[in-house]
Amino acid sequence: MSIPIPRTDCTSISIFSTIGFGSEFENLKRIYDKAIGEWRKAETLGRLDEVIFSIDELCRECSLEGWDGYEAPPIAEDACYEAKRFIRSLPVSFPMPEIVPEPNGGIGLEWSKGDRLIFVASVSGKNEIVYAGLFGMNKSHGTEYFGETLPTAIVENLKRLNF
Amino acid sequence: MPPLDSLEILSRFILQTNWFSSSENRVKYAAFLPDKNGETSVFRTSGITNNEIWEIGDCEVSIKRGKPISGRADIGTNNVISKDLEVVPREPPLRHANIIGWPDERSKQKIIAIELASESFFHKR
Repeated sequence: MSIPIPRTDCTSISIFSTIGFGSEFENLKRIYDKAIGEWRKAETLGRLDEVIFSIDELCRECSLEGWDGYEAPPIAEDACYEAKRFIRSLPVSFPMPEIVPEPNGGIGLEWSKGDRLIFVASVSGKNEIVYAGLFGMNKSHGTEYFGETLPTAIVENLKRLNF
Repeated sequence: MPPLDSLEILSRFILQTNWFSSSENRVKYAAFLPDKNGETSVFRTSGITNNEIWEIGDCEVSIKRGKPISGRADIGTNNVISKDLEVVPREPPLRHANIIGWPDERSKQKIIAIELASESFFHKR
């Protein structure tokens, strides 16, 4: 038996609900994943592969202590994995971020729309997202558990950039 | 060097190419995040020429760290102090100082670093 759950939030279309079980749920999930995969291949929907590649490249470049010229620890493999998981979980309506290595060994994902309109979410392989955003005169920051999907706080903050 | 004045300019030398955006001519927040000792290393560069500032970067940062200088971010001491941070001179080398007093919470560090980056002036090498 299936129960349809209407979605009114278009930005979350690529986030498949993990609440479900049984063969119908599994079939639906497979069809959904395939559709989203095809959708993401479209050039206009982002630079997913390019960003995944640049995360791999960054992890290679920053694999030794002191990669920043100042004593930064190496970027952990778990952080790389988590950054890629974040990117793949990102709703398709948002643009891809710029990838920024952080001096504490984490990876920052940065969206910038000019002066004082910027949002950063960082991962370091600990199943948490540390975020901070500057939206004109308003500020937002915090830490969220990174489970199977992107936390609502991250999606809501990204919406404030009005892509 | 005389005691630090709140009107002085501080220069943060950038050795990491993905800590700035050439196309937007801006430095990114990560350039200002503190190191594992809770410090952000800067130089007091008021009253000296542009060439002399780059010379400090080359001699005191690039050679010692074994990486070329890609750029620098200049920020007023006032901007730093207004975020409840402190700037403490730490010589040698001459003109060197550290930004300290960062909050422990990483998300707070990040929002401060974002603000500092947004208030600074980036100079590409």
